[in-house]
Amino acid sequence: MTTPALAGKLRRSSRPAIVGALVLALVSCPLWGGDGARSTLIFLAYHAALAQMWNLLAGYAGLVSFGQQLFLGLGSYTLAIGCERLGIGVWPAFALAAVVAGALAVPVGALTFRLKGGYFAVGSWLVAEVFRLLFGNWGYVNHASGMFIRAARSVDPWLIYYVAIGVLIGMVALVVATLRSRIGLALMAVRDAEDAAAGLGVHVWRVKLLAFVIAAAGTGLVAALIAVQTPFIQPNATFSIEWSASISFMAVVGGLGTIEGPIIGAAVYVLLQQQLGGNGAVHLIVLGAISVVVMLVAPRGIAGLVRDRLGWTLFPIARRAPSRSPPP
Amino acid sequence: MQLFETLLNGLLLGGLYGLIGLGLSINFGTMRVVHLVHGDLIVLAAYFLVVVLVPWGLPPLAAAAVVVPLLFSVGWAMQRFLVGRSLGRGVLPPLIVTFGISMVLQNGLLLWATADARTLQSSLSSSGVQIGGLTVASVRIVDFAAGLACLGLLLLLLGRTALGRALRATSDDASTARLMGIDPRRMYAAAAAIAAATGGVAGVLMAATSTFYPSTGSATLLIAFEVVVVGGLGSLTGTFLGGILLAMAQLLGARLVGPSYAQLTGHLVVLLVLVFRPQGLLPRTAP
Repeated sequence: MTTPALAGKLRRSSRPAIVGALVLALVSCPLWGGDGARSTLIFLAYHAALAQMWNLLAGYAGLVSFGQQLFLGLGSYTLAIGCERLGIGVWPAFALAAVVAGALAVPVGALTFRLKGGYFAVGSWLVAEVFRLLFGNWGYVNHASGMFIRAARSVDPWLIYYVAIGVLIGMVALVVATLRSRIGLALMAVRDAEDAAAGLGVHVWRVKLLAFVIAAAGTGLVAALIAVQTPFIQPNATFSIEWSASISFMAVVGGLGTIEGPIIGAAVYVLLQQQLGGNGAVHLIVLGAISVVVMLVAPRGIAGLVRDRLGWTLFPIARRAPSRSPPP
Repeated sequence: MQLFETLLNGLLLGGLYGLIGLGLSINFGTMRVVHLVHGDLIVLAAYFLVVVLVPWGLPPLAAAAVVVPLLFSVGWAMQRFLVGRSLGRGVLPPLIVTFGISMVLQNGLLLWATADARTLQSSLSSSGVQIGGLTVASVRIVDFAAGLACLGLLLLLLGRTALGRALRATSDDASTARLMGIDPRRMYAAAAAIAAATGGVAGVLMAATSTFYPSTGSATLLIAFEVVVVGGLGSLTGTFLGGILLAMAQLLGARLVGPSYAQLTGHLVVLLVLVFRPQGLLPRTAP
């Protein structure tokens, strides 16, 4: 066996080992970590999950949205209303959050897909603004002063931890499975050349809507989890454009169009948050400035740099044309 | 009669809204980029006027004459050194770059000028004019006149000058324009500078018309976006009419539903237009 082939085999076989070690480390956290490690990892997990959902849109479906805070708001309000107004319990309300956010994504997508490119990005932001104002004027949810979710106070923090880790792993698995399927191929074709994809028989609108609904449901679910942990929500915070700022930062800095990128980006975000915490304005200036520099200097992000330098990726989802064997 | 007064005020305020949208329309028309910094540029102009120039003792009119060329240069430099470098690689890079600049600018304003409400105190903003028994704020008459004048100047510039012809050629087909000796990057910088200069005028008027905060940049960007979508992409006159429609919707909402519903009514009217007339009021006809 020649050395490059051996190296290739090693790289391939190291993937399950790395993923397995990461999962094991996360699952065994109660054995080695305390409250600090737990809350940091919960924070990391839900940010990585949010970035993963945005990556599905912007990195694969070509839909750059600055309106995902709409689904954050819907998810957290579904949880709050389910717990405080309908009394259905924390975890049923948590599951319902994904359903409500995903269901609302259908009409929202049907409307905003009429706008293309940058106008879609701002159009989705506008819809989120509409819902921020609606919830702020709605007496049933205490107007803009927000809701305290009393039922969530008794939830064991380690349970929240395992749900957060489970949500992240589930979303990574879902995105990998989607992208390796025909739908993933169709999505990437639409991202790279919409008209050509349509010409080859891809239902562009339907495929985009599917990605939009998956991302909305996932975002709503994560938002409900954040609300369980916090447990207080306000329309001006949960529907805030600042979510789009941090989500797009993580996806761009980590590397769009890769699975590991958003997770790396979330880790960078958490480190920055711990260094800068306290002052929101400085934090947002740093996020904005880094996004601009990364986009101009290394548009493929950290994961893209690793892939270019080492030719290695943790979750292979790229497709290559079968190589022709050299003539004998 | 009160309803008529609201509509008249909406028409006049619409001049300012239309002006806010013109810059976004020029940027998109020339380089197909939705320039997310536009709202913050307008607010930057307003802050520069109120926090720097007026305390120096400059009369508002002379201060406005400083703000507009300043914004022109800011728009040019931002295009040449940042936004221009993100072009040609799809939809995402210019969006991320302009969104990032917007965050830096908006939060920079927050650190520098605090979150306090600001406004330009002048004799104009406190006085009213009677027109046939209806009362309108005099500053809104200035808004409308200035917005209309900017629209007229831009239409003349684009339709009747060599620069306008080059801009339109770049918009239609940048690579062919390059063959004719036009440098698209210079045209993009010119368009961004002109757009920012209209933002300077809008910022001066906004400072005189209403109170503003650093976060007003986002609200202003949404106004620009709404006005352009309602007016029809690619038509400056449509953008101006879109401004009038949006302002009327907001003031009607405030009067009929309640003062806290102005923004919401405006947004909902825009979404209705998107449902029933997605091409907008005056879409650019096919060439």
